[in-house]
Amino acid sequence: MTNRRLLSEAKLWLVAIPVLLWTLIPIYHIFLFSISTKDSAFSGRLWPDHPTLRNFGTVFRQEHFYLHHFWSQIWNSLWIAVATGAITLAVATGAAFAISRLKVKGGRTVMNAALFTYFIPAAFLAVPMYKAMGTYGLLNNRWSLVLAMVTLASPYAIWVLKQASDKLPWELDEAARIDGATPMQLFRLVYLPLMVPSLVAIFTYALLLAWNEYLYAFLLLSHENTIPLAVGLGHFLASDDSPWEILMATALIYGLPPVAIYYAFRGYMVGGLTSGAVKS
Amino acid sequence: MASVSFSRIEKSFGATKVLHGISLDIADGEFMVLVGPSGCGKSTLLRMLAGLEDIGSGEIAIDGRVVNEVDSKDRDIAMVFQSYALYPHLTVADNMGFSLRLRSERKDLIQSRVANAAKILNLGSYLHRYPRELSGGQRQRVAMGRAIVRDPKVFLFDEPLSNLDAKLRVAMRAEIKALHQRLKTTTVYVTHDQVEAMTMADRIAVMNEGRIEQLGEPLELYDRPANLFVAQFIGSPAMNVLEGVYRNNFIEALGARWPVSGSRAADGQRVKYGIRPEHIDLAGAGIAAEVVVVEPMGAETELLVKVADQTLTLLTHGRSSIGPGERAILAPRLEHVHLFDAATGARL
Amino acid sequence: MAAIAIPHPPVAPRRGLSTWQTWGIILLAPYVLVFLVFVLYPVTYGLWLARHPESYHTLFEDPVFFTSVVNTIFFLLVAVNVKFLLALYLSGFFVHDRRWIRWLSVIFIIPWAAPAIPTIFSIRFMLNPEWGVINSLLFRWFQIDGPNWLTNPQLAMAMAMLVHIWKALPFWTLILMAGRLAIPKELYEAASVDGATGWQKFKYVTWPSMRTLYITSTLLSLIWTLGDFNSVYLLTGGQPADKTHVLATLGIRYIRLDQLDHAMATIVVALPFVLPLVYFMMKRLSGDEQKTS
Repeated sequence: MTNRRLLSEAKLWLVAIPVLLWTLIPIYHIFLFSISTKDSAFSGRLWPDHPTLRNFGTVFRQEHFYLHHFWSQIWNSLWIAVATGAITLAVATGAAFAISRLKVKGGRTVMNAALFTYFIPAAFLAVPMYKAMGTYGLLNNRWSLVLAMVTLASPYAIWVLKQASDKLPWELDEAARIDGATPMQLFRLVYLPLMVPSLVAIFTYALLLAWNEYLYAFLLLSHENTIPLAVGLGHFLASDDSPWEILMATALIYGLPPVAIYYAFRGYMVGGLTSGAVKS
Repeated sequence: MASVSFSRIEKSFGATKVLHGISLDIADGEFMVLVGPSGCGKSTLLRMLAGLEDIGSGEIAIDGRVVNEVDSKDRDIAMVFQSYALYPHLTVADNMGFSLRLRSERKDLIQSRVANAAKILNLGSYLHRYPRELSGGQRQRVAMGRAIVRDPKVFLFDEPLSNLDAKLRVAMRAEIKALHQRLKTTTVYVTHDQVEAMTMADRIAVMNEGRIEQLGEPLELYDRPANLFVAQFIGSPAMNVLEGVYRNNFIEALGARWPVSGSRAADGQRVKYGIRPEHIDLAGAGIAAEVVVVEPMGAETELLVKVADQTLTLLTHGRSSIGPGERAILAPRLEHVHLFDAATGARL
Repeated sequence: MAAIAIPHPPVAPRRGLSTWQTWGIILLAPYVLVFLVFVLYPVTYGLWLARHPESYHTLFEDPVFFTSVVNTIFFLLVAVNVKFLLALYLSGFFVHDRRWIRWLSVIFIIPWAAPAIPTIFSIRFMLNPEWGVINSLLFRWFQIDGPNWLTNPQLAMAMAMLVHIWKALPFWTLILMAGRLAIPKELYEAASVDGATGWQKFKYVTWPSMRTLYITSTLLSLIWTLGDFNSVYLLTGGQPADKTHVLATLGIRYIRLDQLDHAMATIVVALPFVLPLVYFMMKRLSGDEQKTS
């Protein structure tokens, strides 16, 4: 009996170990580089001879050519991410309420249009978006990235909110209406409080989408002062002998917040994700 | 408190007509029950009164005022839903006071009204709980409390007891009836359960396929059903119905002669003969039957007997000594025989 | 049995019809505006830009385009299928009820949750032929001169696919896990009693329930993988000699060369493949809508 259990446990471990290695090696590598000096980084070692935090210091003090605008770039990333999250939340919540609860005319068409945007690969939309932002005179303006990200995040947001909203019993709206609620009162006092978990998930989703974005960021923003950190990191690749260990340190700083935020809110997000794009 | 009237109400959902010209007057303070099978249109009628459904054609008036174009919130009605529809994120107290809060009433007024309703319904100790912490019966009471706080002209109930178990249903029935006697608010109550209708109503409207089959007091419907549908719908166990031919003194049915009084039809006319289970006695002389099943329920005994190839139900008081497989002699009580036209179902 | 509650279809509120419908329009308007300004106009404009037949002529004559198309097809066929087979397998692993497996699944999500730049750059550096960890270790442990991971076009494409799989696998594993969890345990128990082996349980219980989800997910993933810019661009930049481009990165390459019409043409060329898939996905979701509403 115990032998059988041991065997099946062993089989599980046989899968777990490669999965763990596969998942963590690139992550560990970032960490490895960021605490290495320039020489030991290139020596291909698994652990640096003299682990150091100096690279982080260099980053924070903006002491390198590519880092001169580190703080303004990280500020841009933050600003763009939060603005995207907030605006997506506002736009999507209203739209989902209108479509799901108010049954507004044309709601299905709008939902379909949103779904279409969601399924089309973002990379394809990037080219026309770039041209259009040029026409609107928004290139190099942080708002262009924010609005582009809102455009990309809203469809999924509306979809998730609509799904969650459809699960709320209709009698609640009827009871509220008989109790004398106006549309805004229904929205504020009944709908929003019951949707809080989904709202958190959507805000987090849009926030992370904007923070992690690279393609749209580097297409739409190019001025040193407007670019978010993602683009700043990309600049490191311009020359062949850039200080990769400093790049990795910066990348680690850049990569930590989204992972941390995702882990903090993953309870909210997993539910939304698995009932989102694909239904069984 | 107010009167309610429906005038020639018609309604269709797409191509299906669900209400065929319903007219109904409910007096001030009356407890009116709309009862009928699923799909008969009773809920639709109620929801039209509530303003939750569009009226196809016809008029609905509350207290003499036509409310067709009036929004739900201005009709001064309160509704208790089958699923209670309590706001999950609000406490019991907040649930009950919600309508007043929407109108920006003073806090002390809201509190006193809520406390008053809570006292009537015995909810005092639950005021700070959330709906998810309550049992079905308690939630239903909160839903009623919410309606009471409104102090409306009309109470609407949409199958409120359907989600409760049998015992609770019986207890809640009594509570709702007591509430009505205390508050005397005009009440329109929808249910598919004829026992609820019989026990609670001042008057019952039996509905079927979008029409009112009969309107009257409970016992009236029981004693003199206007047609076959009402006869079989009201009363539990259901009335026994046999197909037969009218002869001058008796009905020919199932190869036997069934007694009937008076001359209510023409000789040779095809009729339906109805007799309630509680109105058939076991006697020495009468119609021969074979006992199939005996169901002793303590105070009464239900017997399933077979005459020719039809199974009939008998309900006798007390215990019965007769057993399955034995012969029984049936004696229907003459004064409780119902006759209906075989074609139209109308009472003869 | 309790009465069947006839579900009342939600009614568009009546009188005061104007108030409720008005608010509906007001609340829907912001998104409609976003859509019109940032989707409809750009797409229409873009298609208009792509109207010249000459763009397509020059496009088809560009050898880079041909390579890109081939790369893209390989990428889609291999990456998506390998990814889904792995996801299918791992989804079965991760649904085991053990605490340590749950912890592992939390770690497993990191590639997907972490942004592309740090992670893909990390892999890029690991694969550097001269000083990258992989080749250093290969030399140190096995005395092998590791290959030119990123400068050999075929190897580089393979690496890009690996990067894509590394990043996308967790998401799809999660989706398929949800699919597995939806299968009632009793079915497996009944199969056990009937004497089914592990493989038979998969074939007769798991797969029939998962089949639709698997196929729909694969199709959706095809669309999204087609648009995967990061995996190729951040790993190779399309190099060497523009030999590792895929359609997603090719469009951007043309923008960089200031050939906007070619960029649009590249996208238009991919549309006959993308649009039917998108249409299919939309129908499936709307179809599910009808069923559950």
